[in-house]
Amino acid sequence: MTVTPAVVEEEEVTAPKKGLSFKFPFAETELGLIAGILAAIITIFTGLPAVIKAVGMLLAFVWGADSVRKTSKYGLGTGVPSIGVLGIGYGVIGALMGLAFARYGSVEGIFYPAVLIGVLFMGGIGLVSGYFSNNEKFIAMKIPRLERAMMELGMAGTLVILLQFSIVTGSLRFDAVVDQVMDTGVIAFMFILSCMGMFHPYNACLGPDERRERTLMLSLEISGLISIILGFAMIVLGTSPFGLWDPIALIVFGVIVWVVFYRRFIKACMKECYATVGTGLIKTIG
Amino acid sequence: MALEPEMILIVGYVVIGGLLASLGAHLLPVGGAPAAMGTATGVATGTVQLMFGAVMTGLFTSSTVSSFSNNIWLVAISGAVGAAIMITVVMFMANIMYVFGCGIVPVSGRVAVDPITKEPQTPYKTPQTDGHGVPNVVFISGTMGGFVGGFGGGLMYFALLFYANFTYVTAAIAALSIFLANAILAAYNIRGTTEGLYDPKFKRLPKALVSSLAISVLAGIVVLLATIGLPQGGI
Repeated sequence: MTVTPAVVEEEEVTAPKKGLSFKFPFAETELGLIAGILAAIITIFTGLPAVIKAVGMLLAFVWGADSVRKTSKYGLGTGVPSIGVLGIGYGVIGALMGLAFARYGSVEGIFYPAVLIGVLFMGGIGLVSGYFSNNEKFIAMKIPRLERAMMELGMAGTLVILLQFSIVTGSLRFDAVVDQVMDTGVIAFMFILSCMGMFHPYNACLGPDERRERTLMLSLEISGLISIILGFAMIVLGTSPFGLWDPIALIVFGVIVWVVFYRRFIKACMKECYATVGTGLIKTIG
Repeated sequence: MALEPEMILIVGYVVIGGLLASLGAHLLPVGGAPAAMGTATGVATGTVQLMFGAVMTGLFTSSTVSSFSNNIWLVAISGAVGAAIMITVVMFMANIMYVFGCGIVPVSGRVAVDPITKEPQTPYKTPQTDGHGVPNVVFISGTMGGFVGGFGGGLMYFALLFYANFTYVTAAIAALSIFLANAILAAYNIRGTTEGLYDPKFKRLPKALVSSLAISVLAGIVVLLATIGLPQGGI
């Protein structure tokens, strides 16, 4: 009786692939620090063009999605979306608080350092909720470093919401935000799309062969889509201090980010999977 | 704005609303992924999504009522009724799909005999599953959950609208955010699937209530500080 030899092809599959893999240069802590500090700096200078604020928003989204990823890989028991929604829920409360204090120490239309009070408060609330979720006497989720991840989520969520307010209104005055974001209903899609940007990357990519770079690419792609929609909101509301080129630049930026990272994501998926069986509709892009 | 005595009520109502949100989330019939295959009782989605949909409808009805009334009971109960109607429709439609689509009988997996209608449950349960669909006992528990949760949401909305002087939309979105934070902590306490009132997991409720209390007090203080920090006269 002959024994079938081990399949040789498997060795080729495990060999490292070159070219398409997108290496993310930072570890989790470094990414948090860099994205957090840059996004905070961009948040307080509201006189910047919308494109630069969109870069800050993109960084904050990546940070949030990374926090969701490192928490959810231990299994939450309720699905990944819950923790993304938690982050944005904290974000809205923190953004309202930051806006209420924005006028202290501000230079009208340019510089609002006091909004970061909201970010810090939400970091604190995130820490407390992480403690209660993880502690054996209370909810006892037993997820390593959940406290830190929830703190980061609260801070990233607040930065995301503040930057979106800042993009749409061009300032961080409470009355402007209430008039142009809240009462017009822009907040509704802002809320749900921001939730998507936080939880969708890991929710879509989770599994045994999940790779951090590929997951975060999806977060960048959703940020591009949000930029496009915010650009249209700016055109309709006519709120940009720089005139019409500001929203148009934002839309172009959003389209470029979306196309680039969508192509990269699909290519990475095609390359890293074992085989693709489908209609061929998406395969033509790769 | 200076600190006025009635502003302390903001923290009080936010805390009560948060605790009711936690209680309401524990009463919902959450099926999760197993229910999508018809192998567990409940609606096939997570706690957060069910509570989000219910309380959103509740806040719509609350805000409609609050545009012509400033009676706290009317605003809160209209929120409760809106949320209860939403969750009832969701459970009913889920049942229609389970019964006519999958061809399974709504049956509870946790109780042998329905405590309310005295209908036998175990003989109709497929072996090695946790029940199917939304049976009567779970339906009643879910309606109670929607009612309690919507009441909490309406209470929070009322406090933010009339004591913190936010606009309608701002108050609704802030109430929704605080509500979601509490409902998600409750969802972590439930972990996956629950049948509501008669589920053994309901006994874990005090742990979630303590966590919810801490978060709600902090969130209430945040809203209070935001109200104080606002320019004179409110927005």
